[in-house]
Amino acid sequence: MLEADLLQYRLPWLSSAVYPGAHLGRMTGAGLLFKQHQPMAASSDPRRIDLRASVLDPFEHYRVRAYQQPSRIDVYLLADLSASMGHAGKQKILGTLLRTLARSAFGYGDRFGFIGAGERAEPRWLLPAGMHYEPVSRVAGQLESARFSGTAIGLGNAPAYLPAERALLFLLTDGHFPLAHLQGLLASLQMHDVVPLVLWDASEYRRLPAWGLLPVRDLESGVSRTLVMRPALRERIVYAYAQRRQDLLGTFRAFGSEPLFIEQCDIPAINRHLHQRTA
Amino acid sequence: MSLGVESPWLLTALPLALLPLINKGMRDHAHPGLLLLPSDPLSDLLSWLLRVFAMLAMAGLISGMAGLHLQGQSVERIGHGAEIVLLLDRSNSMDNSFAGRAPNGNNGEESKAAAARRLLTDFVNQREHDLIGVAEYSTAPLYVMPMTENKAAVKSAIAATSTPALAYTHVSKGLGMALSFFQQPVVTGSRLIVLVSDGAAAIDHDSEQKLRQWFKEKQVRLYWLFLRTANSPGIYDPPADPRDDNAQAMPERYLHQFFTSLNIPYQAYQAESPDAMKQAIADISRLENLPIHYFERIPRRDLTGTCYLASAILLLLLLAAKGAEVKPEA
Repeated sequence: MLEADLLQYRLPWLSSAVYPGAHLGRMTGAGLLFKQHQPMAASSDPRRIDLRASVLDPFEHYRVRAYQQPSRIDVYLLADLSASMGHAGKQKILGTLLRTLARSAFGYGDRFGFIGAGERAEPRWLLPAGMHYEPVSRVAGQLESARFSGTAIGLGNAPAYLPAERALLFLLTDGHFPLAHLQGLLASLQMHDVVPLVLWDASEYRRLPAWGLLPVRDLESGVSRTLVMRPALRERIVYAYAQRRQDLLGTFRAFGSEPLFIEQCDIPAINRHLHQRTA
Repeated sequence: MSLGVESPWLLTALPLALLPLINKGMRDHAHPGLLLLPSDPLSDLLSWLLRVFAMLAMAGLISGMAGLHLQGQSVERIGHGAEIVLLLDRSNSMDNSFAGRAPNGNNGEESKAAAARRLLTDFVNQREHDLIGVAEYSTAPLYVMPMTENKAAVKSAIAATSTPALAYTHVSKGLGMALSFFQQPVVTGSRLIVLVSDGAAAIDHDSEQKLRQWFKEKQVRLYWLFLRTANSPGIYDPPADPRDDNAQAMPERYLHQFFTSLNIPYQAYQAESPDAMKQAIADISRLENLPIHYFERIPRRDLTGTCYLASAILLLLLLAAKGAEVKPEA
């Protein structure tokens, strides 16, 4: 696994975790960044005595330098496992992203967990935050060969499996469900840092044929239609998707997260997006 | 219009025509967000049309196999007109011209038969709703065409008299035959016999009795178009010699007297030329226009060919649609 194939995320917030890790935290301890002066009684480490600060102290107490301890966070991948996510190469992308994200999180020393939900949040698609790659890789393998069905209504249960501290959530979905559901979901994830990744396959809209009779059946509702494809209709479909993109953008932004629209597991693009968040 | 089938048991396959409602006949492409796609009236219309076409094609094939046809039937009709029997003389003399000789083609002479054909055809064309039957007589009566409202058949029957004429004139038998056309006891409209002849014959006593009885029973009007040859005795002329005043010597005069004595509406026209004959026919068509009530016979019409043709066209359309279908990759 090369460095370039891992995701690099920095946080625009301070972790409050006790355990040391790689992200700015609220704890003082073994770090490199000076945080504050403390009286000798608070942290009795004579190596950290700041002579200049002690001399300047009006109460003539020894002042000790305290450093910011980098802390770890929990990283979760929330995946929409509705039937529409079984379309085209989305399952493969989901597996790849799951593995990559787990490796990246372990590389930072963060804990990684996975919550996948289709119609319900099934136990086999739940991984509590941990530090082991093995279960993640097993779940990823199962995900790639599983058959998804139903809607993404189970995502609403996700907060129940999330920790009480703020965590970094990657939300992978294709957004093919009512906006009201999305608003409910985002409202219940308010305390966490959500990075929405919206996965659309080009064959859904951009790469439809220009001419011909196209019988299509919806993966979730089972409704079927026959489209008389012609360039004008294709343009209208592309336009409908652009409209949908605007709606999703508005919804995500209303809850303070900037979504990224992806068509494949493009690690550099996701990295750029993650860098922009903390710039 | 009542439909019938040859083999009704095949109609049990008709529910198969509902199959297109279940199956589009095309492989669906899975799509994750169909609700996102804009509605397209043209697509909806066409997809329904294809279904309807498939159902109709199926139904057409099954009906064709079952042998669908329109059953022959009679339709009650009410019109203005008459029941007319054209009784045509086919004796030899009808092939002569009004001048009493064989027509030569150079000075526009036509034979009496030809003139009668031409004028009667016009007459038939003018009469919209008449029932017309055609009978002929010569040595024996000829049954040509029953009472029908089918103008084409009547005109063909009239045209068929262009074959060379036959031998003698037996007017009584011809009249009997003409009267036998009027079968129904119910009199609707007016019934008339148009006798077109250029001569007459004596009527024997037995036939005379019968004819009197039938004319009374059937309430028939009689029009006699007497195509008088030049220099032949007319029907009104009293004989120059009283000794000739008998049915054998002057059959026309005596036939006219017989008709007059029947006490039925009777009109004789003595036509010495095609124009006079035309006048007579115009009179008839002006006079005889009473309401008439009759049953039109409609023959059975086989619809299997139509069924198969329609199915073939629909199947071609469906085939074109199938050809335009976007095939799923692998």
